[in-house]
Amino acid sequence: MNISTASVTVRFGAVAALQDVSLEIPSGERRALIGPNGAGKTTLFDVITGARRPTSGRILLAGADVTPLSTWRRARLGLARTFQRSALFPTLTTAENLALAVRARMQTGWRIWPSRMERTVAMEVSSRLRAAGLAALAQRRAWTLAHGEQRALEIELALASQPRLLLLDEPMAGLSGEERQAAVARLRSLPPHVTLVLVEHDLDVVFAVAQRISVLDHGVLIADGTPAEIRADHRVQEVYLGRAD
Amino acid sequence: MTGLRRARLQRRPLGLLALLLFLISVPAWAPNRFWINVASQALIFAIFAMSLDLLLGYGGMPSFGHAAFFAAGAYACALWALHRSPDLLPLLLVGLAAGAGLALIGALALRARGIFFLMLTLAFAQMVWSVLSNNQLAGTLGGDIGLIGVPRPVLPYVPAVNLFQAANFYFLTLVVAVAVYLALAAIVASPFGRTLEGIRENEGRMQSLGTFTFRYRLAAFVIAGALAGLAGMLSASFNFSATPASAFWTTSGLAMIAVIVGGSRSLLGPAVGAMLVVVLQLGLSSLPTPGLAEHWQLLLGAVFVAFVLFLPGGLHGLVRGRAA
Repeated sequence: MNISTASVTVRFGAVAALQDVSLEIPSGERRALIGPNGAGKTTLFDVITGARRPTSGRILLAGADVTPLSTWRRARLGLARTFQRSALFPTLTTAENLALAVRARMQTGWRIWPSRMERTVAMEVSSRLRAAGLAALAQRRAWTLAHGEQRALEIELALASQPRLLLLDEPMAGLSGEERQAAVARLRSLPPHVTLVLVEHDLDVVFAVAQRISVLDHGVLIADGTPAEIRADHRVQEVYLGRAD
Repeated sequence: MTGLRRARLQRRPLGLLALLLFLISVPAWAPNRFWINVASQALIFAIFAMSLDLLLGYGGMPSFGHAAFFAAGAYACALWALHRSPDLLPLLLVGLAAGAGLALIGALALRARGIFFLMLTLAFAQMVWSVLSNNQLAGTLGGDIGLIGVPRPVLPYVPAVNLFQAANFYFLTLVVAVAVYLALAAIVASPFGRTLEGIRENEGRMQSLGTFTFRYRLAAFVIAGALAGLAGMLSASFNFSATPASAFWTTSGLAMIAVIVGGSRSLLGPAVGAMLVVVLQLGLSSLPTPGLAEHWQLLLGAVFVAFVLFLPGGLHGLVRGRAA
């Protein structure tokens, strides 16, 4: 699913978190979004998913204007995201966390009577637990998981939506090298038609995964290009790559 | 199966069976009618507390105005029994419908969350209370006296079974309480119930997974309102009256205490908590020590504070050996 933002501006009082941001990401592309802290990357995700309304500008999903649509409606169009700080269901078990995501996708959460769909849900949950390396932790409550395990669950919740457009907000933050590799492998297993937008500080991951890179600084889109172009861009080196992170 | 539901099923059978047998046996060993009536009151309050727990425990919606729906059921059934007929089945439906109907109006509070939701539901219930106790409406609602002389319901098929008899009425409340428990247990274990818990845990995440969360919160609010109305119906029949006090915030507060003392996020916990509150209320208000009896609320409050401090999981948490 392709996504574009048309002149999106978000103001918090006098501060512009995003200024006139126009992005175009074609279907199936793996795009990285980089920029220093406070550049507006998460705000852009919030605007795309509907968690925040833009002060002005429009969001188009697969060509359709979704700016007035609520978060859950956009999610049903095939949009999923992960959060910078894991947004799990803390007192529910790992398996139940995933079951909620699967049911939400199948839209069977409304049922009051036990249905056959629950078998299907349970089967999908076990295969996802295995794929995410969480099978042994199925019955653990989410808040008791280690950081890396929570991040794996965080990503798997989004994958369970079977998204056509997936926004990943710093999915690798705080992960060990091994966990990082597992997460990258899990992301690589996504079907090629899935559009991926990745916010990530680890430039090794960015350059390994992304086909194109967009750079935000102080709410302004300052560059947009292939990894090679971005590496060569002077402004990018100034505001981002040149700085010690 | 991944054990999504296994954990839940394991928790139930034994304690539940023991409690049911105990409740069935009450009229057999209760020394007199008075104690059977106490048991009836305890069960009515247990229904009310279980309905509140759907909101408070499972839905994470701290309603402080649940008494409004209890009173709606009580008044609607009192009016129905006084002016239409005392037949039990229509009365049960009227109680459910009155609670659900008022909940649809009270659902305006669902726009808020947390403490704001609590304050809005409280304000809503106090408005209901002020309407009920308004003496200008005494012609229909009885003003601050309420509606009195409400007859006991008449059973279908077996009208000869006299519900004025304490034990007979007790068994009616027991049947309704068991039915409400089973209904709520099914709801809580269903995909709907799980989704409701997901919304409690993280509403934003449920939305970004594609769930229209308002719909679930509204449904839970209406179901809880309907069941509170059912408890109100039993209360009006039991007391032969419906009074404005049933809508007052203290009624909501007692139910909240019952849920927290019993342990939210379980159904038996709040039911047992409600029975405990009724018995404590009775015991404390009839203490022989002069000066203490009038302040039974103070003592009940102390019990409540002790539970919150030392047993945050309530009785349920104590039995299950899990913290909070």
